[in-house]
Amino acid sequence: QEEAQAIDQELFTEYKFSVDQLMELAGLSCATAIAKAYPPSSFTTSRPTVLVVCGPGNNGGDGLVCARHLKMFGYEPTVYYPKRPSKPLFEGLTTQCQKMDIPFLSEFPAEAALIDELYGLVVDAIFGFSFTGAVREPFGSILGTLERITVPIASIDIPSGWDVEKGKADGLQPDMLISLTAPKKAALHFAGRYHFLGGRFVPPALQKKYALNLPPYPETDCVLQLS
Amino acid sequence: VPVPSRQAFPLPSLPRKQPTVLVVCGPAQNGAIGLVCARHLRIFDYEPTIFYPKRSPDPLYRDFTTQCEKMDIPFLSYLPTEVQLINDAYNAVVDAVLGAEAEAAEGREPCSAILATLKLLRIPIVSLDVPSGWDAEAGGSGGISPDVLVSLAAPKECARRFLGRQHFVAGRFLPYDVQKKFELNPPEYPGTECVVAL
Repeated sequence: QEEAQAIDQELFTEYKFSVDQLMELAGLSCATAIAKAYPPSSFTTSRPTVLVVCGPGNNGGDGLVCARHLKMFGYEPTVYYPKRPSKPLFEGLTTQCQKMDIPFLSEFPAEAALIDELYGLVVDAIFGFSFTGAVREPFGSILGTLERITVPIASIDIPSGWDVEKGKADGLQPDMLISLTAPKKAALHFAGRYHFLGGRFVPPALQKKYALNLPPYPETDCVLQLS
Repeated sequence: VPVPSRQAFPLPSLPRKQPTVLVVCGPAQNGAIGLVCARHLRIFDYEPTIFYPKRSPDPLYRDFTTQCEKMDIPFLSYLPTEVQLINDAYNAVVDAVLGAEAEAAEGREPCSAILATLKLLRIPIVSLDVPSGWDAEAGGSGGISPDVLVSLAAPKECARRFLGRQHFVAGRFLPYDVQKKFELNPPEYPGTECVVAL
């Protein structure tokens, strides 16, 4: 977790990347990975509907970007975004989604069965690699419901609620994990079908400095399937 | 933009041993897009070099410059007027000098000198959005003749006069209502691609 934070710090302070830039590339990777693993034709629901659950921080921001690109790729995303930071970045991302007619739910579906009926896939963009401590409401209840759904879950960077390094045996069991920049320790505990790497923006010098040893991305793809 | 450059000139096909590309960046937005392109080309394992004589004071564009510098992308201090030197050193040139917004009054030097050199090149040119120096609507007679044109968001009027090998549309971000409102009718992007060949 510290290493991931250190890399982020260098990208922002030394390389002068903006959060916006990296968040856009990260969110695009997530949407691309999802589209590769779950093409619209594979959905059991009649329309390729996706529920994107966005948390209160950057992971939520990644989710908003992802939702927007999913819309461009022909999916029908719906967003649930209960705790919105009042920062221009997040307000902008929210507006972009709203202006693209992506609905924002006012309440979270009360029952797992309802989610299973309405959506073919859920994107977990609640907590990322900076998560520590206890899960605050409403996210505790949300995760409780998500643990009971049967449709696949795609988690962005870290399955929400997991310890960033140790995982959580009785927590969320996503079908897909999109590791951003590099897989985190928690990824060792990932047992789902699809593990993708996204966030193809780490300069070669940084990769070497932190000995990331990332396998090469194919050509100009912004994602790499690890499993 | 780096994606279509890559599609047009896949690494194994480059004539020179090193996958060198010269990215020539103008003073405004088109140049800034060139900086972003150069950075992604580097991530894609090309060896870009940038010529960016008139740097924008815009903080966002200054950060793009820093990102490139920190990624060890060299910045030339001058563009050789001896065209053979450029032909020999690079496989292709990305023309990110002037875009559709360029106005006649905008500092002609050093742009016109750069364009004069580009016109004489024998290596392929990839132009961003509008071949630099062309009028965005009427096109350019006697201007540069790029091999590849990458139209951003949607082709501009002058793209009708493009005679090069490949025309791509890139910039898959236009919401449907904007596309409809301006009657853009962009082509369908395949799958998750951010680039489509016309």
